[in-house]
Amino acid sequence: MLVAGGGIGGTIVANRIAQKLSDEMARGEVKVTVLDRSQKHYYQPGFMLVSMGEMHPKDTFAEERELLDRRVGLITGDKGTITKLNPADKAVVTADGSTHNYDYLVLATGSHIQVDEIPGFKEGAQTFFSLDGAQKMWDSVRGFQGGNIVVDVAMLPHKCPVAPLEITLMLDDYFKRKGIRDKVNLHYCYPVPGVFGIPNVNKMMTGVFDQRGINVHSQFTLAGVDPSGKKITSKEGESLNYDLLIAVPPHKGAQVLGDSGIGDRRNWVPTDKYSLQMKGHDDVYVMGDTTDIPISKAGSTADYESYVVANNVSVDAAGGGSKRDYTGSVFCYIATGLDQATYIKFDYTHPPNPPTPSQIHWWGKLAYNRLYWSIHARTII
Amino acid sequence: MSSVKLYKSIDSTSANCAGAIGELAGAINDAYAGEGVEIFIKDEATRKDVYAWAKKTRHKIVVDESVGDKLRLVVEKVA
Ligand SMILES: Cc1cc2nc3c(=O)[nH]c(=O)nc-3n(C[C@H](O)[C@H](O)[C@H](O)COP(=O)(O)OP(=O)(O)OC[C@H]3O[C@@H](n4cnc5c(N)ncnc54)[C@H](O)[C@@H]3O)c2cc1C
Repeated sequence: MLVAGGGIGGTIVANRIAQKLSDEMARGEVKVTVLDRSQKHYYQPGFMLVSMGEMHPKDTFAEERELLDRRVGLITGDKGTITKLNPADKAVVTADGSTHNYDYLVLATGSHIQVDEIPGFKEGAQTFFSLDGAQKMWDSVRGFQGGNIVVDVAMLPHKCPVAPLEITLMLDDYFKRKGIRDKVNLHYCYPVPGVFGIPNVNKMMTGVFDQRGINVHSQFTLAGVDPSGKKITSKEGESLNYDLLIAVPPHKGAQVLGDSGIGDRRNWVPTDKYSLQMKGHDDVYVMGDTTDIPISKAGSTADYESYVVANNVSVDAAGGGSKRDYTGSVFCYIATGLDQATYIKFDYTHPPNPPTPSQIHWWGKLAYNRLYWSIHARTII
Repeated sequence: MSSVKLYKSIDSTSANCAGAIGELAGAINDAYAGEGVEIFIKDEATRKDVYAWAKKTRHKIVVDESVGDKLRLVVEKVA
């Protein structure tokens, strides 16, 4: 079995498969190998906390080898960088020219920010969607003395859909605590009407934004950034001046998927929403941000999906047991400041019902992040 | 029946963070002019939202029908 990508989804699923098929692996009947271009495993949810000075950058990554079950193989660097996928031949090619054959493949190559897609974005916008960007943003936030801060979402879907809400409310709280909130105008630009796509969450968050004096501009579809004039414009014809622009770039699935003729024009892979198999290829499972399922691209989604993928691929490979369906489970904390949060929990048949923000959920959010390395990635639970 | 070529089909019958309009807007962005995006939704309120969005963005709704307990809309991208 090959697992393409050793991020949140790939690591967790490989560990779960090793737990399920420990006997088969011990007898040498099943081999599980993770391919990733990097030896380092990045925990991206930490980037947002880095951008607000709430986490040290070095706490956002660890050695992938240390997270993986010792029975799971790991190949990184050129030998682990996938340059071509060929499902018809059950083969994967890596940058060193090797071909890796598989019986079963799990695709978990994630979603990737596209800072070049919108003119002026790279030069004019700060983003916490990369570690480097998050560190720069914290410098800008710390040094900000007053003026217009614009938080903009360029395009949907993007990973961690609640992150723009969170960063806006954390900025509000940060400047309040600093005693200069009255000198900061906070603007939130969103490409669809409202501040969020789920009606009751939108209603609740619109109320919170209103109370906090945050100016909402929606529908605002980012057309371009003018870094010298410090201005953004929308496809709807609105323009807005900024002193600090914090933006979520457009996203795409991994380039290798497009290069291999897999996926739509944004490289999202057509996936059955219940079985998590790639459409037309029963021996390929797809999970996490890689799928085209209209659901949250979130680490928690990948974690929930890992139970189904690990179970089903184990049944495929070793027989016995029965297959399971993914029920669409998602769980996301939503920070509403620097010491309070709410959360959304939902699935295909139950919409979310976020509780009143409280400090308990903020501690829950921090605890999840802290325990990620010792518990979640290692699938202790 | 519309003869528009479909770029993508979206099942937006359950809660999703981008919402029906977010998913639709993303797919229409990537579609070529003249192509369509098909979306399945559950309720009348979302149908109204799709109409309002299409009017604002000047894309055309070329199919609007009930399929079992779902609503099926096809939006054609206009340049
Ligand atoms: C700022 C921010 C905040 C977030 N906050 C939260 C949160 O609070 N809660 C939450 O649940 N989620 C959150 N997320 C989202 C979460 O990080 C992602 O949804 C999650 O990482 C997806 O897991 P994945 O396994 O699909 O992809 P990833 O974790 O991105 O892993 C993909 C892996 O594939 C590898 N890869 C890609 N291409 C290749 C290739 N060609 N060859 C070899 N390897 C390759 C990459 O190196 C990477 O290791 C946040 C994300 C960001 C950016």
